[in-house]
Amino acid sequence: MTAGLRTQLVAALGGDHVEDVELGFRVSPGSAAEVAEVVRRAADARAAIHPVGAGGRIATDLDPARVRIFVSTHRLDQVLQLDEASLLVHAQVGLRGSDLEHVLAPRNLTLGDYPASMLASSIGGILAVRTPGKSSARHGFFEDAVVGVSAVLADGRSVHTRVAPRRATGPDLARVLCGSEGTIGVLTSAVLRIHARPEARLVAAYLLPSIDAAVSAVYLALREECSPSGLRIYDAPQAATHFDGLVLPAGQALLCAATAGPTDLATCDRDLVTSAVVAEGGHATDIALAELWWRRVQDGDVHSTSHVQLQAMATPPRLRAVYRAAIAAVPGARAHISRFDADGAVLFLGWDDDTPRAHEAARHAVTSAGGWLLGSRAEKWNSYLRELRAALDPHQVMNPGTLAT
Amino acid sequence: MSPAAAQPIDTDRLLRDLEAIVGPRRVSMRAVDLDVYARDMWPRLLLAHRDGQPPAHRPHAVVWPEHVREVIAVVKLARAERIPIVPYGGGSGVCGGAVPVRGGITIDTKRMQAMRAIHREELICDVEAGLNGERFERELARRGYTFGHFPSSIYCSTVGGWLATRAAGQLSTKYGKVEDRVAGLTLVTGRGELIETDGPNRALRGPSWTQLVLGSEGTLGVITSARLRVSPAPQLRVFRGFEVDDVAHGLLAIRRVVQKGLRPAVVRLYDELDTLINSLSHSDGSEAASELDDVRAPVPPIDTGALPAWPDPNPPKLGVVERLAKLARGGAGLRAGAMNAALGSSELVNRVFGTVAEKVARRGCRLVIGLEGARIRTEVEAALTFAELEAAGARDRGEDPGWAWLRHRYAVSYRMSPVFRDGAFVDTMEVASSWERLGDLYEAVRRAIGRHAVVMAHFSHAYGDGCSIYFTFAATAPDAASAERVYDAIWRDGLDAATRVGATISHHHGVGLLKAPYMAAEHREAMSLFVAVKRSLDPDGVMNPGKMGLP
Repeated sequence: MTAGLRTQLVAALGGDHVEDVELGFRVSPGSAAEVAEVVRRAADARAAIHPVGAGGRIATDLDPARVRIFVSTHRLDQVLQLDEASLLVHAQVGLRGSDLEHVLAPRNLTLGDYPASMLASSIGGILAVRTPGKSSARHGFFEDAVVGVSAVLADGRSVHTRVAPRRATGPDLARVLCGSEGTIGVLTSAVLRIHARPEARLVAAYLLPSIDAAVSAVYLALREECSPSGLRIYDAPQAATHFDGLVLPAGQALLCAATAGPTDLATCDRDLVTSAVVAEGGHATDIALAELWWRRVQDGDVHSTSHVQLQAMATPPRLRAVYRAAIAAVPGARAHISRFDADGAVLFLGWDDDTPRAHEAARHAVTSAGGWLLGSRAEKWNSYLRELRAALDPHQVMNPGTLAT
Repeated sequence: MSPAAAQPIDTDRLLRDLEAIVGPRRVSMRAVDLDVYARDMWPRLLLAHRDGQPPAHRPHAVVWPEHVREVIAVVKLARAERIPIVPYGGGSGVCGGAVPVRGGITIDTKRMQAMRAIHREELICDVEAGLNGERFERELARRGYTFGHFPSSIYCSTVGGWLATRAAGQLSTKYGKVEDRVAGLTLVTGRGELIETDGPNRALRGPSWTQLVLGSEGTLGVITSARLRVSPAPQLRVFRGFEVDDVAHGLLAIRRVVQKGLRPAVVRLYDELDTLINSLSHSDGSEAASELDDVRAPVPPIDTGALPAWPDPNPPKLGVVERLAKLARGGAGLRAGAMNAALGSSELVNRVFGTVAEKVARRGCRLVIGLEGARIRTEVEAALTFAELEAAGARDRGEDPGWAWLRHRYAVSYRMSPVFRDGAFVDTMEVASSWERLGDLYEAVRRAIGRHAVVMAHFSHAYGDGCSIYFTFAATAPDAASAERVYDAIWRDGLDAATRVGATISHHHGVGLLKAPYMAAEHREAMSLFVAVKRSLDPDGVMNPGKMGLP
């Protein structure tokens, strides 16, 4: 059985692109048609399909009774079409967001002001897994930038959702595939909205009397329709960690802001933040802090994520309470708040005493205060997702075990 | 999935069962009620209605639940008895989505209309689905907010209807279509279960059920409430009219504005025919002269947001030709004197007008643009927007044409019924595509419809990646049967043309019965995803059966 499947996969993809791994095979199809061929072979053999993105991580905690085909998308790395008139790009899913940015940049185009850490993933990975923070205040949620997707379903059929700026022809069918973590189909390409690179980019740094005041200033500015490309609030301990030697008076907060767009609009947005900060009792401070922050964000933001033990999401009214609860729960905890969008913002929490007890205390504090831990599942929809999968994939070929009860 | 209710329904028992759920006063099987709920505002049904024909499909019963638990009980009953359910909001749909093609129970949601809460910092409003659109916007305005959704049906549509059809308002370029403004939904699924999507965050893994329920037109469940994103009420409004050489130049100007990241609330470009006719009718090109003609339509005071006055109940008497001309001006414009010829030989008229418009009257096309929002940012954005338009060759015509449009923005819906009464028919086709295909789409659909009817168009709802085109067509036929034939041919040829150039067949009116036959071409293999979602949420096929091209 396994040998026969191997022969079929080699016939379909060539020997260079089929590799024996624990539990089965790792295959690297070079086209959407080859993905469809792999899925058909897997379905015939009742093997399971597990898509693997840019991380290349292969799950090994799976039931060994079933043959597993890990489908690496790294060869699906082509830009299929660039429509500069409509600002749309059709790209294969194995391409990393950052690679796509390199293609777009010389043409004065960009995917948008999304976190560099998000763009380090493959397009497929970004789209397949829904987590908060894949967003920017200026360009919205990344999932809303998806105009259409192509995917291979469990029966080997290819689907291409229709591309249109907006539609009223039933549900947005691309959303069946986005966020379903490979359980409905293997994504092969996506049509994404892109943007012209901004004429101007400005940054600014501010000191505020408290985290509460900083959060209030942010929402005051957003309410005035300020549309920044980045915002980050640091508490005093986190600011000390991130900016060597920076000492803020205890309880104070550092706010960094970046704005972009036509020069007048970028200036207007920065001035709106400044006004909001002043209204909340703060003032502008050394712009070099903001320049360093923004440079690091552009370089992948490794500096800020390397000291983070826990990420949590909170809606605007809960943000302050979730922050306070988490800081109180773990001795020596520090935090920055980033990725402000219409849903809320993400708290990045760090502490030195990295024990399971500290983790548990922080998690408990976050959820008790009404925050969300990243990676929670929509449990109440379990039976609906199960039926949806059963209708499309009766033999449970597509990423079995994921998103399941 | 067995299609519901082929077998006869025991109406006496159904009445008893429904009375047990909602009480005797909120269920009806009276003929007058069943007739009312037999149709929505789909123009094709109005043709037969005008001829005095009885409705082809009527519900067996109408219920008016006041609480979700009653909706749950009704859906559970329907599921147990395999009786269809048709959710019904304002009845303003124009595609037959609320027509009970297999009878059953029509659930009117209008008694569930509470505005529960506005969460200030989140800018989210929790509202029940049956709330009327104009009342919703009025309540929000009173508290200093706007939902920013202003369809011309705002007086006669509900929040739930907007969500079920992925509706668009006139200010969609800034605020987005309705699906862009939803944080979460509560619905009773076809399984008879109450369930919430997303909530006010996207922290949960799995597909976005919100985006799968939006646009499902009652085929998956009954939307009972929603958490909608609202904006602070605008502090400033800036409206202006511009003139461009032709459609191509106008589209380029609009594209430059939106792709620069500027977000006017509304941009509308009227094609040559429309602009020409308007300029012949009114020498100054503004709509001010036609104000008297619009007494039927609500004219909102401009400084109070969405809050139009109620229509005058006693409109002046007008002749058929004036009515048609007025109607045409709502979406486009058609001069009174041309109407007779237009209805007789539409293809010829389209061609003549095209020639005149393109070769003789080099008056250009009319473009209306408006911005609104927070004072400081709107001022900056308006200056940038107008400068960009002028850089693209648009000529500033001052504020009057912009304000004139704003004053009359709800007029079109009030111009329809006199036309039907006078023997003609009119409808609108709203398609959309990427910018790259938009010119092809305009030419292809205009040619296709032009074989059967007089056709005019405007471009509205502009986005960074594309735009929608709103075609208005008018025709006539000696009797209802031949009118239906012409009507069907227009839609068949028009939508085929749209699909062939890679556009979508609907930007915001929805599918219903009208576009159901074209869903397979629209979605191709991806239709199987919709079918799978349907199986999951409505395993017994009781929810609004026979719609949207679902099996």
